[in-house]
Amino acid sequence: MDSKGSSQKAGSRLLLLLVVSNLLLCQGVVSTPVCPNGPGNCQVSLRDLFDRAVMVSHYIHDLSSEMFNEFDKRYAQGKGFITMALNSCHTSSLPTPEDKEQAQQTHHEVLMSLILGLLRSWNDPLYHLVTEVRGMKGAPDAILSRAIEIEEENKRLLEGMEMIFGQVIPGAKETEPYPVWSGLPSLQTKDEDARYSAFYNLLHCLRRDSSKIDTYLKLLNCRIIYNNNC
Amino acid sequence: MDLWQLLLTLAVAGSSDAFSGSEDSSGNPKFTKCRSPELETFSCHWTDGANHSLQSPGSVQMFYIRRDIQEWKECPDYVSAGENSCYFNSSYTSVWTPYCIKLTSNGGIVDHKCFSVEDIVQPDPPVGLNWTLLNISLTEIHADILVKWEPPPNTDVKMGWIILEYELHYKELNETQWKMMDPLMVTSVPMYSLRLDKEYEVRVRTRQRNTEKYGKFSEVLLITFPQMNPSACEEDFQFPWFLIIIFGILGLAVTLFLLIFSKQQRIKMLILPPVPVPKIKGIDPDLLKEGKLEEVNTILAIHDNYKHEFYNDDSWVEFIELDIDDPDEKTEGSDTDRLLSNDHEKSLNIFGAKDDDSGRTSCYEPDILEADFHVSDMCDGTSEVAQPQRLKGEADISCLDQKNQNNSPSNDAAPASQQPSVILVEENKPRPLLIGGTESTHQAVHTQLSNPSSLANIDFYAQVSDITPAGNVVLSPGQKNKTGNPQCDTHPEVVTPCQANFIVDNAYFCEVDAKKYIALAPHVEAESHVEPSFNQEDIYTTTESLTTTAGRSGTAEHVPSSEIPVPDYTSIHIVQSPQGLVLNATALPLPDKEFLSSCGYVSTDQLNKIMP
Repeated sequence: MDSKGSSQKAGSRLLLLLVVSNLLLCQGVVSTPVCPNGPGNCQVSLRDLFDRAVMVSHYIHDLSSEMFNEFDKRYAQGKGFITMALNSCHTSSLPTPEDKEQAQQTHHEVLMSLILGLLRSWNDPLYHLVTEVRGMKGAPDAILSRAIEIEEENKRLLEGMEMIFGQVIPGAKETEPYPVWSGLPSLQTKDEDARYSAFYNLLHCLRRDSSKIDTYLKLLNCRIIYNNNC
Repeated sequence: MDLWQLLLTLAVAGSSDAFSGSEDSSGNPKFTKCRSPELETFSCHWTDGANHSLQSPGSVQMFYIRRDIQEWKECPDYVSAGENSCYFNSSYTSVWTPYCIKLTSNGGIVDHKCFSVEDIVQPDPPVGLNWTLLNISLTEIHADILVKWEPPPNTDVKMGWIILEYELHYKELNETQWKMMDPLMVTSVPMYSLRLDKEYEVRVRTRQRNTEKYGKFSEVLLITFPQMNPSACEEDFQFPWFLIIIFGILGLAVTLFLLIFSKQQRIKMLILPPVPVPKIKGIDPDLLKEGKLEEVNTILAIHDNYKHEFYNDDSWVEFIELDIDDPDEKTEGSDTDRLLSNDHEKSLNIFGAKDDDSGRTSCYEPDILEADFHVSDMCDGTSEVAQPQRLKGEADISCLDQKNQNNSPSNDAAPASQQPSVILVEENKPRPLLIGGTESTHQAVHTQLSNPSSLANIDFYAQVSDITPAGNVVLSPGQKNKTGNPQCDTHPEVVTPCQANFIVDNAYFCEVDAKKYIALAPHVEAESHVEPSFNQEDIYTTTESLTTTAGRSGTAEHVPSSEIPVPDYTSIHIVQSPQGLVLNATALPLPDKEFLSSCGYVSTDQLNKIMP
């Protein structure tokens, strides 16, 4: 990302942090998680929830794109597309819609559970990513700080999504299985090339999955809140 | 998966960087761009290659492969996106899925590329760019408008599948540089304070949020404002400036006429003050009226001419006579002492140039006269009546002082004469500065210059003898026995020690001094180039310092004798710049008789005669 964009994003990040923290801290005080009187009374807060969730997912996508570009620039010049093409992401098993028609035909419950599954499945890799990037020699602060940020934002978005899920689909079970990441050994391997390749793949998958989450959320937002009339 | 990996490895091995646009020197076809306008379809384009004419058309083929479809497939549509392109419609497009494409020519892979669809989004330009008027300012000079547009029709923003960000550019019609606004998420933006008499152009482009690449610009929209109807202005209230101005001028004229022709002298004086008639400087009629006789007399005394006139005037004679007595009393001390006893202001007069051949009667320029009454004391002393008396006394004193200077740095020979001069030294502050400036550089000079008695011989005028390249003004020391010059001349035995001293400033110089000066002229000249080293805080240096340097550079014992009388007047040697004149300080008068009598001004011709 260019510096102008990053400086703008820095300001918006602060705002997002404040907003999201307010949202999540005061959520219990301001509004009830469940709409006792039906969806009608919860529309306002749901709209706010969605707005904030969209903002956070947008932010996560920005961060992961920047982090991927930084890593690509520094460590993976010339070998990127090989690893991208040959390796797959640990979340590929989730049946996510791959184009607009499929997404339109997917029910919002399914979409939301897919989003939740994606978010949950990234908790663990993000935690290890931060640890391993810290240990990586010469890791630029740009990558490390973004990794830490993404991990926190991911948790926030997960909480927000769980609230939205609880409002939109009251009483739905939230214990869907989610894909487990098992790429830690490859992140810790001694072979530097293989290690960098594993990092590259992980960051690429993160960028892709954050884009998916962002798109699905926007879709849901326009569908539920604005009635397909964004 | 094995086949997939093998094929990809083969493809990769023979390809260059996926997204670079590097030139292919071999002339093979290369991918130029793959683009998805709406995240639903995409197309890829490639160049023909330099030697396509040699190849049979259609030999170029494009294949693609996807992770979920693990085999290479040929391009489904070579036509829809134009020539040398491959179009993938929505059924072939899968977002978030890695694609790899390859270009073959006669069976051989010439290019290869991998990407994901969400990374190549570049929307079409927005459509429907138009504007509406919001409001017009009261002055009808500026207006606010609202510019609106529609997103590209193929993007599904309603559903939220793609979120777009817009960037508006605008400029005046005759400008060349576009100005851009910050990115917006909405499809309209107001523009404020546009001038009604100007025309503007706007254009807008868009990109998917979170990406970097903008799409193409929309068509340029021209904004022109319709001409305002003149009739519309008539109804508006316009401040009657014209009427107010006319009436104001009339009123002013009437008032002026009344005042001019009225008998009210006071108002007339106030508005039309009388033009002051030329006054003779130095004589304030109010002084005469108020009866400040002393001041008037001092002023009058400066001008011999006026004195004569007032002698004829009985009412003033009395006062003048009284004042004549006073200068006698005042001449007990040297005139210079009295002058030096004044404050700074008066001492500045030292550096003024003295004028004329007629002697000391007109000592100062008129403007200085007014400022300084005390100065006239000296001129009183130079009045014909008292002159010989005073001059003699002064000459004795000053000659003594000079003798003292010659003898030793610390002079005790004439304490009496030193008394007033000591006082003078204390009170006269600029002088020590002047002297002190040179002290630091010239020890020999220091002793002599610091001699307070030498100050007694310092005249109030110093002549600018030269201007250093650094811009410092070099003063020639005045003739010490300025007032006593005639006496010095008439008393040759006294002359010698007199002239041996430095002449701090002088308006005149004597023949003997002149001779001395000639003798040492080469030294002075030699030293002229040393002047830049004298750059000090003071803007003035004296030629004493110069001469002493000359002496010192030669032989130390010649210091006393190296006192060079510097003429007060010199011819202008060089006009260096608007700020500077270099005076030809080496010219000295010949000891003509006329000089002896007046010991005065040396003309250029005479100077030239003197020059060796």
